[in-house]
Amino acid sequence: MSEIGKVRMRVPTPTKKGEIVTVRTLITHPMEIVKRDKVGKVIEKNYNFVYKVVATYNGKKILEVETTQSVSQNPLFAFPLKVDEPGVLKVAFTDTQGKTYEGTAEIKF
Amino acid sequence: MGQSSYGNIPERRSFLKLLGVAGVTAGAAALGIVPSLQAAPLGAVQPEETVEATLTRLFGSRTLNPAGDKIKLELPLIAENGAVVPIKVDSSLPMTANNYVKSIYIISDKNRRPLNAKVNFTPEAGKAYFAANLRLGKSGNVRAIAEMSDGTLYQAMQEVKVTVGGCGG
Repeated sequence: MSEIGKVRMRVPTPTKKGEIVTVRTLITHPMEIVKRDKVGKVIEKNYNFVYKVVATYNGKKILEVETTQSVSQNPLFAFPLKVDEPGVLKVAFTDTQGKTYEGTAEIKF
Repeated sequence: MGQSSYGNIPERRSFLKLLGVAGVTAGAAALGIVPSLQAAPLGAVQPEETVEATLTRLFGSRTLNPAGDKIKLELPLIAENGAVVPIKVDSSLPMTANNYVKSIYIISDKNRRPLNAKVNFTPEAGKAYFAANLRLGKSGNVRAIAEMSDGTLYQAMQEVKVTVGGCGG
């Protein structure tokens, strides 16, 4: 569990300006699901899961994902990115404990 | 080392017992009191919902147009493990500055909370594509609903058979 928040990213190298590439990103996170006690009652607590993923390219927002607990553990997301100029892609994951984990990738031609 | 951990066992047991008691109390509290939405922490348990309720909550009475070949939904027919079900939503809908896909909603009908994820795009993305891994509780339909910037909705749907549910007990 010490690895919580490790973000890995895979970005293909675009070959020409304006190409749309598919970015894949993976974060190590437990994405806790609702637990029930022996009689089947839902246990109320502050479950720890990623609820917001924001991707920006050179500071411009590409997309924002609102996730829930019904997304798998160690979630993997893939999304498109139109590359008009070289730059830095940043993906930030925020979980319900208030922690933000970031991954960056540099895109060059 | 061995001796010290042996010495710790009774302490740990009582601690676990305490934990159990805390869990039961929390469950009882859940029965009696409905926490207000504003005060609840982000990770609080959301109430169960039927898919109809979700659709009404998100879209009101707007019509869901069948997507036809505008949205390609890729899902396994049979998911052996409901905890990890790969989904791919690919669409040929336009992605220009004034007419673009604003959001894609991924909804699984049979889940306790049907809304899995909502993706908000900007035209910068270039096209509307999204892939993730979902948790599915039971066999049922999974929908991808695309909302255009002008409010038009397109829906693509596919049934997934789940062998082992992925939403815990």
